[in-house]
Amino acid sequence: MKLHALRFLSTLALLAVILAPARAADSKLVITMMPKAKGNAYFISCKAGADRAAKELGVELLFDGPTDSNAAKQNEIVENWITLGVDVITVATENKEGLSTALRKAQKQGIKVLTYDADALPDARSFFVNQATPEGIAHGMIDEAARLMDGEGEFAIITATLTAGNQREWLKHMESYLPAKYPKMKLVAVRPSDDLKDKAQSEATALMSANPNLKLLMAICTPGTPGAAEAVKQAGKAGKVKVIGLGLPNENKRYVHEGVTDSVMLWNTEDLGYLTVYAAAALAKDELKPGATKFPAGKLGTFEIKGDNILLGKPYIFNRTNIDRFDF
Amino acid sequence: MNRYFREISVTMALGVVLLVLAVFAPAFYSPQPLLSLVTREAPTLVVACGMVLVIICRQIDISVGSVFSVCSICAGLLAARGWPLAGSVPAAMAVGALLGACNGFFVAGLQLPSIVVTLATMVILREGLNLLQQGAFVNLPDRVQWFGLSQAAGQGVLVAFALALLVALGLGMRRIAAGRWVYAVGTDAEAARLAGIRPRLLTFFVFVLMGTLAGLAAAMNIVQSPQVQPAVGTGLELKVIAAVVVGGVAISGGRGNVWGAFAGLLLLACVSPALTHLHVEAYWEKAIQGAIILLAVVADGVRQQKTAGGHP
Amino acid sequence: MSAAGPQPGWKGVLFRYETLLLAVVLVEWLFFYHYGTTTNRRGVVVGFGTVDRQFDILRHSCEIGLLALALTPVILTAGIDLSVGSLLGLCAIVFGKLWHDAGLSIPSAAALTLVAGAVAGGLNAGLITRLGLPPLIVTLGTYSLFRGLAEAMTHGAVTYTDFPAGFLFLGQERGLGVPTQAWLFLLAAVAVWLLVHRTTFGRSFRAIGFSPEGARYAGLPVARRTALVYVLAGLIAALAALIYTARLGQAKADAGTGYELFAITAVVLGGTSIFGGRGSVTGTLLGVAAIAVLKSGLACLPVVMRMNAAQEMSGILTGALLLLALTGSILPKILSPFRGRPQAG
Repeated sequence: MKLHALRFLSTLALLAVILAPARAADSKLVITMMPKAKGNAYFISCKAGADRAAKELGVELLFDGPTDSNAAKQNEIVENWITLGVDVITVATENKEGLSTALRKAQKQGIKVLTYDADALPDARSFFVNQATPEGIAHGMIDEAARLMDGEGEFAIITATLTAGNQREWLKHMESYLPAKYPKMKLVAVRPSDDLKDKAQSEATALMSANPNLKLLMAICTPGTPGAAEAVKQAGKAGKVKVIGLGLPNENKRYVHEGVTDSVMLWNTEDLGYLTVYAAAALAKDELKPGATKFPAGKLGTFEIKGDNILLGKPYIFNRTNIDRFDF
Repeated sequence: MNRYFREISVTMALGVVLLVLAVFAPAFYSPQPLLSLVTREAPTLVVACGMVLVIICRQIDISVGSVFSVCSICAGLLAARGWPLAGSVPAAMAVGALLGACNGFFVAGLQLPSIVVTLATMVILREGLNLLQQGAFVNLPDRVQWFGLSQAAGQGVLVAFALALLVALGLGMRRIAAGRWVYAVGTDAEAARLAGIRPRLLTFFVFVLMGTLAGLAAAMNIVQSPQVQPAVGTGLELKVIAAVVVGGVAISGGRGNVWGAFAGLLLLACVSPALTHLHVEAYWEKAIQGAIILLAVVADGVRQQKTAGGHP
Repeated sequence: MSAAGPQPGWKGVLFRYETLLLAVVLVEWLFFYHYGTTTNRRGVVVGFGTVDRQFDILRHSCEIGLLALALTPVILTAGIDLSVGSLLGLCAIVFGKLWHDAGLSIPSAAALTLVAGAVAGGLNAGLITRLGLPPLIVTLGTYSLFRGLAEAMTHGAVTYTDFPAGFLFLGQERGLGVPTQAWLFLLAAVAVWLLVHRTTFGRSFRAIGFSPEGARYAGLPVARRTALVYVLAGLIAALAALIYTARLGQAKADAGTGYELFAITAVVLGGTSIFGGRGSVTGTLLGVAAIAVLKSGLACLPVVMRMNAAQEMSGILTGALLLLALTGSILPKILSPFRGRPQAG
């Protein structure tokens, strides 16, 4: 029996020598894109824009990411891409410091690195394609809440998970901005929804019940906004408890038209993906260099660069007047 | 009464929690949020009933979460395509039954350990769904929500149905022969076989039933809101198993009932809203749930030690 | 018949199974080597067939490999430990807190973290042996409890970073040409292998898994030995936490989420029976290798890359592989009636 095993193994070893890989080199630029988590409609629409850009530019786009928000998995995927010898890595970081380790490694190997949506440490990437600064988003949400609450009253926030990077960043900015600008507004609770719409709904129901004077629910993760809206609707408090949040137009159209959700803040995620791929291609071809102040991106026009941030623009507010214009 | 010690103690614990809430956070008892909470948990109760049978049978099924997700998306996609609820609900149940049969084939047919089989099917289903659906929400037509009835009526129907199922299973497991067979197989499969029961066939059907109930629960869930998220079943298996275990169903089989599971489910489901109402920070939630599970199990062990009078 | 070991007949089966598994790993490896290696537009050989890639496979599977090693003795005793992933997260936080908030030096913080892991394992051990509670339920509870403590201690928000380069060396650099943590893993693997296969402890684990009553009557200190495997699992989980933190350069409360299922898959794939009494450390290592190679290799295949389906495919195929392995292992039992052998009543 042992002899059989030995023979089998030696055959395999021989095969190893014979079966040496033989694939011709591909001359296309290889750009990779990683979302925070794959099953997220937000990043799916980013991908749609990115695919468009890739087709226009004639580059190969590899899109991969963890199926749940997981720091270690992001690192592993980046390291996979390093050994795949790609040209540019673009990534939306779940963990700033953790992922920067892998990104620096990529840079050392001559691979260009861009971040989009959520930044890494500055030395780990060449540029950050920023849809809006974290302060911009935080202040924008608080300002919108204040507008709807007349600057006073209680409100609650529904977040993704307690450990989510972007959300932690926004909350930090919100917590410093709020007492300074709107001292009469009180944040009563921050509850996690684990990025699950149904859990967000349950949390919103409990929040309204526990805080009878609640005037507004703010969902800072995209599955949370429709969840909170449904909760308000089912509680019969549409109009009494306002709902705002981050979200995609298609998931919230219904609630905006019914008057449950007042405004949904986001940015054009397809454009974000499109811009990222264009920037990545330019970076690889050395057309985009540090110190540049403007960057042309195909059909979208020219974008401003502030320092090392390529700015998509200000956060966009979808409400009743404009939400039907968008389909993502 | 010693026999139902576990079920009684869990119910008492639930009572204590409800009492604390009544004193410190009476807002918890406002009708609409309470009804919402209970309606939200109705599908979970249905799944928990199925899990009770599985665990009493000395098996386990950790794939229910993924099965629930798959059935939800199936039902959602069919409804979005124009199928009436009378069609998409049975379709969801059929898909669940099929998936349950797959589990049953491996566990009862090939006699493989259920924890590993359902671990494999859980991963395959979850990743398969990710691959096909890519996380995209499924939008449902308006007529689906609440079966087309008013919100209150729809909620009433769901809760009443879940309770009816609970009662039916609770009584059935004691009164109907097939129910008693489940206990017999869970206690000692060989003795059951010698007594004329067919353990493998029974186990197979228990898994099919588990899948069917998961599909039914999925249908009960999608009528509660106008969109379905593919990740909807995430964490369901742990929630349900914890509820069942806290409710006194022994993992070694042969012991427990759906009433205890009901109490366990309510107890664990109260933790989150209780924390919100008592204005406790959200990050204590997991620790508290883990503590409840451990306390329940420890209490069991201590009691067993006392009655056994030595090393069990 | 020796009371401590499995029946002599099983040994033959196991050996055959492990060779089969080794063949599977090699076939996988060759397949990905052929289809997953290419040259990029800069003329460099890239993909699966590079040394870097192989080292990456090694580095990425160290923590899960350690958890799988930790679970092998546990599963041998017919137990299970669902809490190892959560314990990894808790230990990572404890380490971060000790170093950052308490100002301890890295070595002291690391040593205390290992102790903490062992103590946590001791909690499992105590509940399981003293109170005779089922391991599945106890560790289901600690699975939530440990993760919950990690989240509570950090309010979910705090992340510990900026560790000194000397510590990060452990997870990110190469020592003597091979990723540093590989040496630690090797050490742990050898230690566990020796424990399970060359000591009386190891034989007693199998005996306990095979028949706890029989083991007790044979004079084995069942409670102590069972407690040992859970404490050991906790200790190894703490070690995995240190390596994880060094590799990522940060300690966060969600560290290790989902790792326990991966580890259990590797152990069962490796031929260890979930019912206890039968299994090997070599099998576990091969199981880890099979899954790691599959995962890494799929990400190199052009067809998978174009579908953007690397993560999903590796999950589906791992699950399928597990079912296949399980079915395959009982095939002899199913086929024997057809071989015309007289069946004992």
